[in-house]
Amino acid sequence: MKTIKSYRKELDDGKVTSEELFQEARKKILENKEINAYVTVLEEKEEQEGNSILKGIPYGLKDNFSTKGILTTASSNILKDYVPVYDATVYKKLKASGAVLLGKTTMDELAMGGTGTTGHTGVVRNPLDPSRLIGGSSAGSCASVVAGITPFAIGSDTGDSVRKPASYGGVVGFKPTYGRISRYGLFAFASSMDHVAYFTNTTEDAAILTDILKGPDKMDMTTLEDDGKKYTETLENDVTGRKLFYFKDVTNPSYYQDKKDPILTETLTKFHETIEKIKTLGIEVEEVDFDKNLLTAIYPAYMTISCAEATSNNANLTGIQFGPRGEGDTPDEIMMDARTKGFSELIKRRFILGSYILQKENQEKLFLNAGRVRRLIVDKMTELFQTYDGLIMPASGGIAPHFEDASDALSDAYLILENHMAIGNFGGFPSITIPSGIVHQMPVAINITGRVLEDDVVLNIAHQIEKKLNFQKIKEEARCEK
Amino acid sequence: MIEKEYLKKLAGKLMFDMNDEEYETLQKEFDVILKNMDRIAQIPDLKNVTPMTFPYVHETAKLREDKVEEDVVLSVGNVLKNSKHNVHDQVKLPKVVE
Repeated sequence: MKTIKSYRKELDDGKVTSEELFQEARKKILENKEINAYVTVLEEKEEQEGNSILKGIPYGLKDNFSTKGILTTASSNILKDYVPVYDATVYKKLKASGAVLLGKTTMDELAMGGTGTTGHTGVVRNPLDPSRLIGGSSAGSCASVVAGITPFAIGSDTGDSVRKPASYGGVVGFKPTYGRISRYGLFAFASSMDHVAYFTNTTEDAAILTDILKGPDKMDMTTLEDDGKKYTETLENDVTGRKLFYFKDVTNPSYYQDKKDPILTETLTKFHETIEKIKTLGIEVEEVDFDKNLLTAIYPAYMTISCAEATSNNANLTGIQFGPRGEGDTPDEIMMDARTKGFSELIKRRFILGSYILQKENQEKLFLNAGRVRRLIVDKMTELFQTYDGLIMPASGGIAPHFEDASDALSDAYLILENHMAIGNFGGFPSITIPSGIVHQMPVAINITGRVLEDDVVLNIAHQIEKKLNFQKIKEEARCEK
Repeated sequence: MIEKEYLKKLAGKLMFDMNDEEYETLQKEFDVILKNMDRIAQIPDLKNVTPMTFPYVHETAKLREDKVEEDVVLSVGNVLKNSKHNVHDQVKLPKVVE
């Protein structure tokens, strides 16, 4: 496993040049072709502008960040030939840091999906086991880091689109506080919940990236003033006395007695083993009885808000000002044809749901009630954050599913364990997924969500837990057993 | 089950269409989705809660100066770069008024 620092050292020691790293990464993409991590791979290394710890290091950028002169498709046919004419702030900042863009990564179409299977260039596979999915929507970015193509990759996270794939791939996925990083140039999915987020191999690398990417941006009025902190400097702070909580019942294997799912049982058992290890750091961990009605409402509330916002955010995709032009005798027919051909079935279904939610007769019951549920959940979390520094949960109730696996969309296990990370998007809380163990030869992970603005605390706690768990060692041992 | 014609009407409002098979999948999906949505309705006293539309109160939000940012204004050439039919620096569409 190579980190940003190890790349830095190799470059500084003159063992390798940036050009060699770039070409090596290109080669790895070809070697991992079936993984399908990239939509576009740059043929030539871009001119580097700046100097930082990232100088000369290649990275992947999700294909929903605007990159001037470089094809940006959002993995959708409706943007299959779109070449942006401006740069996203994140891309600008990375350029200014000297990082080297390797290419644009495959995603779920328009970032609306959690499987990595809906992009217009085909499914993204899990590099650890290609018969399994890597999760989404930031699928290619995750796969790029898991396959060792790049030491980091940028994604976006509206529900858990970075933090869930990170769990399936055994890497770190971090989503800072809403507003910490500019969203200018990130194609909007659900603006009130969209976050820039990223995959790394370590929590330290996540802190390095946050230090570089954070800060106010005149092009994004939701960005926060700079807090003047360097998150890399507080990673070693003492965590003794920190307090975390987890949701009672839903993390208890015996709660699902009727389900008889060995992977679920093992994942939750592992979670409690992890909690015991965390306690030896002097961190107090307690269970909290959170209103089950609210927890099971997370997913429907998320779907309601995100589909409704997406419906209007994507109204600009008409095939007229950009994208393939539709056929027809009137502007309406042209638009209709372009959108009918340009969106995949899944996207259309989500848009129709969004439209349904926004119909006058459904607004009160669905759209406004979802916003009310969002407030109740965030208020309850904020209240708990007066006692606790963070929420710790299994990032998923299991391991990366096989492509043919289907989930029971009405079960508590699905509704809560697979969707609770959207809480971080509801409230804009900083939230990190770190690998914590192996189940059936695949990684499982924990997720830690903290108070708004306290990205430093979340990274500090996660870093100390990461050191304690020594996941790399666990991974090596699992490989040996395999 | 939700009417196919109603779903078709919703799709039309969003300026796209689907085939019959796709509408049938959506009808089945709606059954599950609406059951999940009912979970929201089960939460008591929602009426008195103000819907949340933004993650948190952003106290530092301020308006920017009311002036044109020259460096971010797209040139006509750039605006038209991705459009397939342009005439005289404008995007061309069929006539709306005869």
